[in-house]
Amino acid sequence: MSTDFYTTSITPFSGIIIKLCRAYTNTQEDFEDYYQEVCLQIWRSKENFRAESEWSTWVYRIALNVCLTLLKKNKNSSELFASDSLLSEETEENHAFADESLNVLYDAIRKLSEIDRAVITLYLEENSYQEIADIIGTNSNNIGVRVKRIKTRLKKILDGKIN
Amino acid sequence: MEKSIEDIWKEGFLKSDALVAPKINNLYTHKSIHIIDKFKRMFKINLIAIIAFSFVFLVVSYFVGIPIMGVMFFITLTVLVIINKRLLDSLKKIDKGVSSYEYLKGFNEWINQQVSINKRFATVMYPIIFLSVIIGFWHKDTEGIPLGDRLVGEVLKGFPDIYMVQDIPLIALIVVLLITGVLALLGGRIYQWDLNIVYGRIFKKLKELMADIEELKE
Repeated sequence: MSTDFYTTSITPFSGIIIKLCRAYTNTQEDFEDYYQEVCLQIWRSKENFRAESEWSTWVYRIALNVCLTLLKKNKNSSELFASDSLLSEETEENHAFADESLNVLYDAIRKLSEIDRAVITLYLEENSYQEIADIIGTNSNNIGVRVKRIKTRLKKILDGKIN
Repeated sequence: MEKSIEDIWKEGFLKSDALVAPKINNLYTHKSIHIIDKFKRMFKINLIAIIAFSFVFLVVSYFVGIPIMGVMFFITLTVLVIINKRLLDSLKKIDKGVSSYEYLKGFNEWINQQVSINKRFATVMYPIIFLSVIIGFWHKDTEGIPLGDRLVGEVLKGFPDIYMVQDIPLIALIVVLLITGVLALLGGRIYQWDLNIVYGRIFKKLKELMADIEELKE
């Protein structure tokens, strides 16, 4: 991967890649693996980009697909080795950020379903419903309802935690 | 007033440390270790399967009356396993402490050496396996008479003038020698084809990984 490609094509989107990867990982080590894998896949897939969508949509899609694939892989391997590790992974809290409220919010996001984590992350990044639908590959009509439902669920989780 | 989810998100990410991207280093470390470990596992399983097969076949061949074939198979496959076990042991000598690229390069060199040795062995192994099938069935006992002699007798009934060498029809000898020669010539290619069926995906991944790292280095 050339430095040029990284600087021009990945760095502008590294923020959202980081935010997405954080939503799917519990440890710093996993986060770094996910981030590196996303960058590698973007670089590998660059020849397949057809400009039918925005480059940013393409990047988010790859990031999401990589996160979901790695999550599935990790789940399978944890299930193979020990049921205890899964439990500890679910309950482990990640304090990656200096802002404690953000850490709590991320812990709540990690309790959502795999797709809901992506929907809320993209929503909070101020993507339109249409953009979110394009990235996830679904109908934009469903996104609004889904965001509302996710926010209610997040509030419930956060209330339980903060109060 | 309680902060909204949107506010927590915005304010949280305003802090300078929140969005520090990890460095893209050691990108291939896990991948290299994973790919080589996978190959080692498959290679080991393959060798164990060959040993198990040769043992089972040795026993079965005795009971179905083709022990010569069983013994020849057993000896040939045992030599194959010994050669490859030694190769596998030499794979452990590759230094894991070097960079991913050096590690993969070391592994690639080992693969090339392994393929070259096995290709040479295949030029002998496939003809031996073919001959062991022929010799095995030739000597198979059929009501007190070897199957080969019985077949020759049948052929002589139909073609009494057929040219014989050491009680074997010359044409049969030529056909067997021809097939043996073709197998010796194509042994290397058959091995390569067999290898690609079993390890093709790993080799493809290895090539891609090395190409990626080389591009990355540039």
